[in-house]
Amino acid sequence: MRSVYKVLAALIAIEVAIQAAVMVYAIAGLGLYIEGGGVLDAAAVESGETLFPELIGLILHGLNGMFVIPALALVLLIVSFFAKVPGGVRMAAVVLGLVVLQVLLGMFLHGMSWLGLLHGLNALALFGTAVVAARRVPRADVPVEQRTRQSALT
Amino acid sequence: MTRRRTVVAVAATVGVLAAPTWLWQASLLPSSYAATDMGYVDDGRAAPGSGSGSGSGSAPPGAVHDHTAPGGGSRSVEQLTAPADRSADVTVELVVREETITLADGTSVEGYTVNGASPGPVIRAREGDLVEARLVNESVPDGATLHWHGIDVPNAADGVAGVTQDAVPPGGTFTYRFVADRPGTYWYHAHQMSHEQVRRGLLGALVVEPAAPSAQPADDVVALVHLYDGVRTVNGSPGDTHVDAAPGADVRVRVINSDNASVQVWVDGAPFRLTAIDGTDVHEPGLVEGRSVEVTAGGRADLVVTTPADGSGARVELGGTAAVVLGPPGAAPPAARPPRDRVDPLSYGTPAPLGFDPAAATRTFEYRVGRRPGFLDGRPGMWWTVNGHLYPDVPMFMVTEGDVVRVAISNGTGAVHPMHLHGHHAVVLSRDGVAATGSPWVVDSLDVGVGESYEIAFVADNPGIWMDHCHNLPHAAEGLVAHLMYEGVTTPFRLGGDNRPE
Ligand SMILES: [Cu+2]
Repeated sequence: MRSVYKVLAALIAIEVAIQAAVMVYAIAGLGLYIEGGGVLDAAAVESGETLFPELIGLILHGLNGMFVIPALALVLLIVSFFAKVPGGVRMAAVVLGLVVLQVLLGMFLHGMSWLGLLHGLNALALFGTAVVAARRVPRADVPVEQRTRQSALT
Repeated sequence: MTRRRTVVAVAATVGVLAAPTWLWQASLLPSSYAATDMGYVDDGRAAPGSGSGSGSGSAPPGAVHDHTAPGGGSRSVEQLTAPADRSADVTVELVVREETITLADGTSVEGYTVNGASPGPVIRAREGDLVEARLVNESVPDGATLHWHGIDVPNAADGVAGVTQDAVPPGGTFTYRFVADRPGTYWYHAHQMSHEQVRRGLLGALVVEPAAPSAQPADDVVALVHLYDGVRTVNGSPGDTHVDAAPGADVRVRVINSDNASVQVWVDGAPFRLTAIDGTDVHEPGLVEGRSVEVTAGGRADLVVTTPADGSGARVELGGTAAVVLGPPGAAPPAARPPRDRVDPLSYGTPAPLGFDPAAATRTFEYRVGRRPGFLDGRPGMWWTVNGHLYPDVPMFMVTEGDVVRVAISNGTGAVHPMHLHGHHAVVLSRDGVAATGSPWVVDSLDVGVGESYEIAFVADNPGIWMDHCHNLPHAAEGLVAHLMYEGVTTPFRLGGDNRPE
């Protein structure tokens, strides 16, 4: 369970890094598209068409942010109940809280662009917290060994 | 010790998962349900100030409501038809197919056609004509219907799958009959799987000419704007479309926006007048120069352009990626920058009588668009809400024929919602608390921007069950749908199964 906790926390950190990467990829693609004479207006944006290939970055950002990361954070919290990681439940709860905040900021920045600044900063906080959570699991913890030791005791 | 810990951990897990599981379970839709059984009744009679839409909450689809009019007698949507004894003035057969669409420049796109082309034929009728359109579904696998966007048809002809008819399966037919009683620019489109079928071309234009043709410019051009695979087209042609027009001629350009979000329209090389919005004439429209007109998704705008006397021509820009060029053959007016300013219909034109008194409203509703995480038929996601409720637990706005209805529409989400009410035209009273000062601004499709609020009013004069939904059609598929319902009207048709109007 402890290694599951560690892997999940690390996965969340990696996912946050991917979120930043795909977003910049999409914005770079948008720049290229416009430089190349492409025109975007509301109808084009809402058409659901892939106007430039890097648009996949935006789609991935949405899917990751709305589904994958919240699901990972929820599973991390559940796993934390079973994995005896020191302070593990608290860290998992903070991660989940920051994820919820991040999703809300992502939603509402469409109405208030300045929330985008907080969305960017909160991503760093979430990344840091997930890394700290992963490192809470002691390195020496090897699950197989532990199980053998426990069975030897009974 | 370990056992107790495990018990606590399991209990905590159950606690964390209980709420989502319950919400998931509760969101599952029955295999089929009637529009009259979904959501909750909002009778619009709430005391002023307390806000309507505070309906009793969570009646699941399948709950029974009594819609019988006080006087007794209920009517089925099937009985709400045009006069059966009147013969048709305009008869048209519309055959829909799933096939490759060839655009004017030779590009081909997979989609749906009407009589072999997309857009389908322009249907022209004269004010007062009875139009009879026979839909033949040759090969649209999911079934098809036709909705007459902006025409206040009798309910039986509204074309909403699962509400006013069953989707027409391949091999089936359905006949629509209605009186084209208001001159103007309209369009028809699929209202079965509409978020997919409209985007892929199941649509066309419909023009109703006034009974007295002298009032119209002789030159009349339809400009149906549609994106095929992300390529903007006018009447199926990408880029510039040339239309011959003599120098100094008045040309009426009927812009129809069939896409999912608004399009900016402006004219290079000539001033213009915005003479009609959504099929209703603007009263005393002023001359426009250096400003653009925003055409709502699903909406229409008629522009009368006077071409330059020197024969240099004018460009009617449609979003900057397609244009109608008006002028003598060979005229190539240069494209200018898009104007920054827009025509604001709230103050454009001059006031005129509305024909009814919105202050004497007998029903007052709230249509508050929101967004929150949740489950829609078991699918997790961020879904639209109406007055805080997720589909299908949305309000049924109940009215009686003759009611004067006011609706306060507001948008608390980060997206624009082009709201479309079927079967009625509403006048805009105010935006963000600022009262309208121009010509009566009469709409069937109204863009409600981020954070904006509108107050609209209309007379309930067309009995039936009418969708009131977002015309960014994927949003409708994501639950942004409510219904205006007349007391005593019932429907034998059911949503779910083969009927998916969104
Ligand atoms: Cu919408």
